[in-house]
Amino acid sequence: MIKDIGYLEILKTNPGSSIQDLGRIGLGKWGIPISGVMDQRSYQWLNHLLKNNPNAAILEILQPGFKCSFDSFTTIGLAGAQAEVKKNGELILSSIIKIKPGDKLEIGRFILGSILYLGIAQGFQMEEILDSRSFYPKITAPSMLSKGEKIPFFTNQSEASETFSSVKTKSDWFQNKSLTVYPGPDFDSLSSESQTSLLESDFTISTLANRMAFQLEELMPNSIPERMTAPVYPGTIQLTSGGKLIILMRDAQTTGGYPRILQLAEDSISILAQKKPGHHIRFHLKNFD
Amino acid sequence: MRPSLRQISPFILELYWEETPSDELLEELISWELAIKTQFEGEVREIRKGFQTLSCLVKNQLNPDAMKTWSRFLESKIKRSPLPNTLWEIPVCYDPEMGKDLIDLSRALSLDPEKLIELHSGPTYRIHFFGFLPGFMYLDGLDPQLHCPRKSVPDRKIDPGSVAIGGSQTGIYPTESPGGWHVIGKTPIPLFDKNEHPPVFAKPCERIQFYPITKDEFDQIAEDLKPSKKS
Repeated sequence: MIKDIGYLEILKTNPGSSIQDLGRIGLGKWGIPISGVMDQRSYQWLNHLLKNNPNAAILEILQPGFKCSFDSFTTIGLAGAQAEVKKNGELILSSIIKIKPGDKLEIGRFILGSILYLGIAQGFQMEEILDSRSFYPKITAPSMLSKGEKIPFFTNQSEASETFSSVKTKSDWFQNKSLTVYPGPDFDSLSSESQTSLLESDFTISTLANRMAFQLEELMPNSIPERMTAPVYPGTIQLTSGGKLIILMRDAQTTGGYPRILQLAEDSISILAQKKPGHHIRFHLKNFD
Repeated sequence: MRPSLRQISPFILELYWEETPSDELLEELISWELAIKTQFEGEVREIRKGFQTLSCLVKNQLNPDAMKTWSRFLESKIKRSPLPNTLWEIPVCYDPEMGKDLIDLSRALSLDPEKLIELHSGPTYRIHFFGFLPGFMYLDGLDPQLHCPRKSVPDRKIDPGSVAIGGSQTGIYPTESPGGWHVIGKTPIPLFDKNEHPPVFAKPCERIQFYPITKDEFDQIAEDLKPSKKS
């Protein structure tokens, strides 16, 4: 198959739009974060719908007010947040959309969820840096998409003859308040009162929530001393000396010195990624068999 | 000295030690790191180090059987891997213009700035691992006279190349970032290059030493490191 290049041009975007795949695994030894899509569950579903490679790069959109155009034939797909999406001014209801040269796509209001994924047949073809296309400051330039940016993809020069299922993606799973956690190395150092309140109270996502970490509003009493710097991962929940709970997300640094009290299950990271400041969560402890 | 094992998530496990960080502990860590790479080749996707921890991200979910295999492996006798002798000399300009907290910190520690510089550039430091930021080295070997609390209010912006002290540690900021350590100088040497593989020049377990340079020397080195223009 001839792989000609087509381009998606960004006509309008708010801060936070980026290209992501599964990120950089194996480079933590140089202090390089894993990065990658915030909500892996929606990402995997989307690449599955598009019959893509499981690591195909997609566009991660964190805010409404996004507009782009295409200069070639392709097929795109949407997953994650439920949003008002229009193609050439007309409301789109399907998850899979066939694209012709000159088509314009507009993302309006988010109805449910906070991250929308725009995938494309065969994935976006940005340059790979250190084994990944995932944006990350100081590693990729740019580290965020802006107006005028052109993102390459492979086009087949004619309308896609392949049929894609036109299912409507379900997204009620991320309304779940309960997040599955495993006990972290410092969980046992918490007092039994702290353990109880950690597992039996609701917590609120604060406005300090980004690709690096989600901080919670409620404070927890903490008498655990700071630890020797140790590895941390997306999903690690730290308790700072001031009693703040910090849930590390995909762009998290590779090591940290705060006590590690819990670790989120992989699917719960995806659920959390779709939540907004003000939303409530509750931790559900699961032990290893 | 023997590691204990704990599970962090269905795909992450950790070997950990209670001993205080030292060259001996580091040698123990890298010996186990090599043994893991040999024994679990293809199964371990990433190994990360902390001062007392070695963590492994694995491909297949860690069920009870897999954990038993790991426990048994930790009982085995492994080959020692000695630490390398490589020593990197890193030029640092300790001029207060580049080390904006040098004067305040020397006052807080009741030391002359000259004494502080001498104590900082005297020892050799061992790189235990990289973390925090891409290319940031965790170093062991700071003189206890230079230990000091981190800033209560972190700086919003620290220049790349800044050499700083925080708690019982010293380090170099490879890229611009916020930071809570006291900046005492700056190196003109780039610490992280995303276009290189590996993107850093020094490796974990190697040693570094800082040597003082003047502002003129700093400018000269910075100039020499610029890509030369073909006439």
